[in-house]
Amino acid sequence: MKTQDTLDRRDFLKRAGATGLALSTASMPMFARAAGRPVESMALLTSNASFDPVRPEMGRLITQACKGLGWDVKLAAEDYNLGITKVFKELDFDMFIVRWTGRANRIDPETFIAMMHQQGGNYNKWGYNNARINELAKAQQVTMDPQKRRELVYEAQQVIFDDAATCPIVYPSMTNAYREDRLQGLVPMMGEGIGSFWSDMEVSVRQGDGYVRTGQTSPLKNLNPVSATDSNEFKELRMIYDRLIQIGPDGGLVPWAATSVTAVDDTTVDIVLRDGMKFHDGKPVTIEDVKFTFEYCTKWKAPFFISSLEKFASMELTGANSMRIKLTEPHAPLMNNFFAQIFILPQHIWKDIPEKVDVDDVLNFANENPVGSGPFRFDYWDRGKELKVSANRDHFKPPKCAGIIRVTYGSHDAMAAAIEAGECDRTRYILKPALVQDLDKVPGVAGRGYASHGMYGFMFNHLRGPFQDRNFREAIDLVIPRDVIREVVMAGFATNGGSVIAPANEFWHNPNVGGRTQNLRRARDLLGKAGYSWDDDGKLLYPA
Amino acid sequence: MLDYILRRFVYTLITIFAVASILFVLFRMLPGEATLQVISPAMDTSVQERMKRAFGLDQPLLIQYFIYLKNLVTLEWGRSFVSAQEVTDILAYRFWNTILLMAAGMCLTLVVGIGFGIIMAWRRNSALDIGGTVVSLIFQAAPPFITGLLLLIFLSYRLNLFPTGGMYPPGQRPDGLLELLMMPAFWERIVLPTITVGAYYIATPMLIMRDSMLEVLGSDFIELAKAKGLRPSVVMFKHAARNALLGVVTISGIMIGFAVGGQVVVESLFSWPGMGQLMVESAASHDYPVAQGTFLMLAILVIGLNFLTDVLYCYLDPRIKITAKGMN
Repeated sequence: MKTQDTLDRRDFLKRAGATGLALSTASMPMFARAAGRPVESMALLTSNASFDPVRPEMGRLITQACKGLGWDVKLAAEDYNLGITKVFKELDFDMFIVRWTGRANRIDPETFIAMMHQQGGNYNKWGYNNARINELAKAQQVTMDPQKRRELVYEAQQVIFDDAATCPIVYPSMTNAYREDRLQGLVPMMGEGIGSFWSDMEVSVRQGDGYVRTGQTSPLKNLNPVSATDSNEFKELRMIYDRLIQIGPDGGLVPWAATSVTAVDDTTVDIVLRDGMKFHDGKPVTIEDVKFTFEYCTKWKAPFFISSLEKFASMELTGANSMRIKLTEPHAPLMNNFFAQIFILPQHIWKDIPEKVDVDDVLNFANENPVGSGPFRFDYWDRGKELKVSANRDHFKPPKCAGIIRVTYGSHDAMAAAIEAGECDRTRYILKPALVQDLDKVPGVAGRGYASHGMYGFMFNHLRGPFQDRNFREAIDLVIPRDVIREVVMAGFATNGGSVIAPANEFWHNPNVGGRTQNLRRARDLLGKAGYSWDDDGKLLYPA
Repeated sequence: MLDYILRRFVYTLITIFAVASILFVLFRMLPGEATLQVISPAMDTSVQERMKRAFGLDQPLLIQYFIYLKNLVTLEWGRSFVSAQEVTDILAYRFWNTILLMAAGMCLTLVVGIGFGIIMAWRRNSALDIGGTVVSLIFQAAPPFITGLLLLIFLSYRLNLFPTGGMYPPGQRPDGLLELLMMPAFWERIVLPTITVGAYYIATPMLIMRDSMLEVLGSDFIELAKAKGLRPSVVMFKHAARNALLGVVTISGIMIGFAVGGQVVVESLFSWPGMGQLMVESAASHDYPVAQGTFLMLAILVIGLNFLTDVLYCYLDPRIKITAKGMN
């Protein structure tokens, strides 16, 4: 999806030339010299190219651009695990580039506002501490009215942007490809493209056995709905297990197994379960199963759900199909991040687990024959190769296709070749942009980019050196060559970054937060006014 | 001889123990904290600790090592961090997929390699001899991913003669090995990876066979056979080739061991769900139990085949003399 002005290689070279000119002029001292010490050389941490080819490329462009400020930045493209360790465990980093993928639980502003920017937030290892953001993050968590909550989230985005706390580089599209000569009815979803649940439900196959052959390069790891934490597993589990509510294609909430999940007041949630549902083994789905699911996940501290469940003060059944939950405190993210995520477990099966399956902890249970009540029944899982599920025609909303076959391919190239050869019908997750471009030229194949609420973010260690100064951070934001990154590195499958909540997330995105355009002169002016200066060699000096 | 075999067996066990210990240390020396790919740093600390407990990662390293050794001996190789499946189950399934591919590749290598080696020696210095040597060395020098990629590009992507990968068409999982082997689609899919494996290893048996043949062909008994008026094909295959096979038999065990371990690239390229692909997946996701199990199983296979080759060698060549100090 090329939503921005296209920029070909010639334009890129022109801009690169312009940058070079800017660099040469930048080396001239523009402001009065001061006695400040030089701003120390720092490292920009990214993953290595084998993990994500995009990040080191972005890093190279940004480190080059920083030289325009007279500031030396070195690129450190590291093993992914080493990078995470440095950031999250050792807290030993200057700045880094990360991809915040458009997971469903990130549609709620909790991740981008509170977890990333509130002091003590689970992601906030970079020491960002802004009193107003801390207030807003807490307030949006306890404001159950979505409209009122949105006002708080809008303000938080503005504060984060003004403070240049985090610099979204680009919002990458979900790059997918599919056989348009075989499939119809695919429903793209924010952050998931055509790999979405709604595509699984609505897609139909024009020819063949009716199964949708869905390709992915990462193997399916797990089919245990209690231990799963990865969005890749959630994408398969949600076909087999029903959820109380689902996140719709536009990010809104859609009733599913529950006809309603209502916040009666700030600390009371009522659930009414749909009538007549059955598990795949024929047993009815009851409200007791729902209550059991909550209790079971609490007992075993289900990793993905436990932080939400810990906010449950009590649960009681209020009717044949209904229950009431009292919360210890209001918690607005519950709807999106808990009720729309947790899978309803059949009590008659899980009450004996792990005792009867010879493991000591439910996290060590492989659940190789999952029985849920979802729109697809489990057929088989051939480890490392494929998962096959077939349409559950008894479901209250049966899928239109005969089933889904999730095939694991060894590489993006192998998957693209399979699509071209007609062996694979669509991609579930991201396909390399260059391959999407190539596939789009193949007759019968469509290669597209779909809007996502994820982003490539430029993160600072707010406890170190110049990053404690918002002027310095803003200056960095002003030199990020977003247009070049968008068009050359991302092959046009992205839009420029601005707010930490992407425009694709329409309900929560603050449209007044536009983003900064690359402007080296403005960046230098800003630094100059803030007291920075340059020595005779053009090196940036701290304010005296 | 029994003394020699026992001695070799003990050496083999010691080697396996050493490999197992090295693997344990190596995986823990990987950069970065291993649990971070399995346990998200975004989770509360208490949840992270709870997951570490479930995986046994809360124990001191030395305790983990002893548990690992105990599990090795009792063949309880633990459970995958990511899928919770038993490592032995995962390995058993993937192992046979690799064996299928390797067996096909080795059959091709040995049949074609030995056959061509015989003919090349018989027609020494002919165009076939020189051409065969050059081509086989080119294939040996080219990394398998180059050969495989070229095969894929021309025979699969361009000419659409073969599927792009996998073991069977999506959604048509066979019930058992026999059904898999009866599927034409399986044979269509195994052709390209087999050629890739075969091409890479073919130089070894081909050139060894050629050299052994040349040595044998200069022997008196070959001259005698020719003088008796036997047909050239009888002399070549019945008299010369049978005597020249020993060298190839010796090297085959080692070659098969390396071939099983060397399927990483081929399996990734052709989306073949075998041990090689499992190695990549488990190492990339820091799934210790599976990664250790995969590497250890391959090590056991290679070391075991070496042991068998040594034993076989004693039987095949009666001239080999066993002494208390080893083999002469």
